[in-house]
Amino acid sequence: MASCDPLNILIVEDEVLLAAELGYLIGEVGCIEVGHAMTSQEAVALARKLRPDLALVDVHLGDGPTGIDVARCIARDCGGVALFMTANVRRLPDDFAGACGVIGKPYSEHGVKMALVYLDACLRDGRAPGLPPAGLQLAPLWAELWGVHDMPRSA
Amino acid sequence: MQDNIPRGRETDLLVSGQGSRDPPVPDLARALEQKLALLHEVDHRVKNNLQLITSLLKLQARRSCDPAVKLALTGAQQRVSAVATVHRRLFRGEEVERFDVAAFVEDLVDDVIGGAGRGDIQVRLNLEPVDLPATQAAPLALLISELLVNAVRHAFPNGRSGLISISVGRDADGLRVEIADNGVGMGTPAAAPGFGGTIVTLLSGQLGARRETIDADPGVRTVIRLPVNGRP
Repeated sequence: MASCDPLNILIVEDEVLLAAELGYLIGEVGCIEVGHAMTSQEAVALARKLRPDLALVDVHLGDGPTGIDVARCIARDCGGVALFMTANVRRLPDDFAGACGVIGKPYSEHGVKMALVYLDACLRDGRAPGLPPAGLQLAPLWAELWGVHDMPRSA
Repeated sequence: MQDNIPRGRETDLLVSGQGSRDPPVPDLARALEQKLALLHEVDHRVKNNLQLITSLLKLQARRSCDPAVKLALTGAQQRVSAVATVHRRLFRGEEVERFDVAAFVEDLVDDVIGGAGRGDIQVRLNLEPVDLPATQAAPLALLISELLVNAVRHAFPNGRSGLISISVGRDADGLRVEIADNGVGMGTPAAAPGFGGTIVTLLSGQLGARRETIDADPGVRTVIRLPVNGRP
């Protein structure tokens, strides 16, 4: 990724109204929404085709609780990073299925924007600009990779 | 939304629980497990629906051209978000019946100040953890949100910068919440209270809270005292 290119983001969410509002928030922080998927098959196909930098992934999709598999697939062979957005933070696997973290629902507009700005910096520099903002919980592996040694909050 | 409660188990439970030779302990364990799964499912749906409602209001606010309509929708969204912030915290830990007022205020301040784009308003927090029954969480959250939003909106007009201090703690009466600003003060009272003022009065009454608002010169200070656990 060139240093000044905006972050390309894929939305994986089966609630279309949530996806529409997320699209606005993505634009407002200077990132680009490259696509929107509602099922796991769509998500994987779009991720393979569009190679987004970041995918915002709900756990429950149109075809069931398949978001975790989507995240694993993106981490393994799409070259991008997934971020969970779910009301069920406690059900995520310990390894976060390779995703970089989670934003718990119900999230706030400001919380999502701050998380996107923060992750943009992390992905660009390979290092966190500081502790994650309120509302964003990083996966242990990524926190270590990005140099965030003490996690401020736990699930 | 996918339902991931194992439905078949319900019948198993009823059949094996009565008069069967199965030892009772596994049944109890299973019933408990099922109850917990249902509780999590309901929690999950409440959180998702709150998210849906806030997104819906925000989308409609974005679409409206009339500034008064936009303001009204944004106000509604902000109030639902305050309730949503409560639910975000509930069920995160093992504790489901208590609600930490201090943790809520931290989240709320982040959302309201950050969301208003008022980096010129400083916030000083003095928070002691105080637990309340979860049943009081939503009205109290709305009450605090109203007072904070009011201060952000009215205390510092025309780009005036300033400071808002919030403290949460216990005193002899129970819970004590103080919200103070060093802004322009109360000025001439309006002929009729706005909707925000009405909400504050109604919810204070509902919670049995004593509320005191004074002209602190500079600014305004509001103190709320709330009996906790039946104590005065």
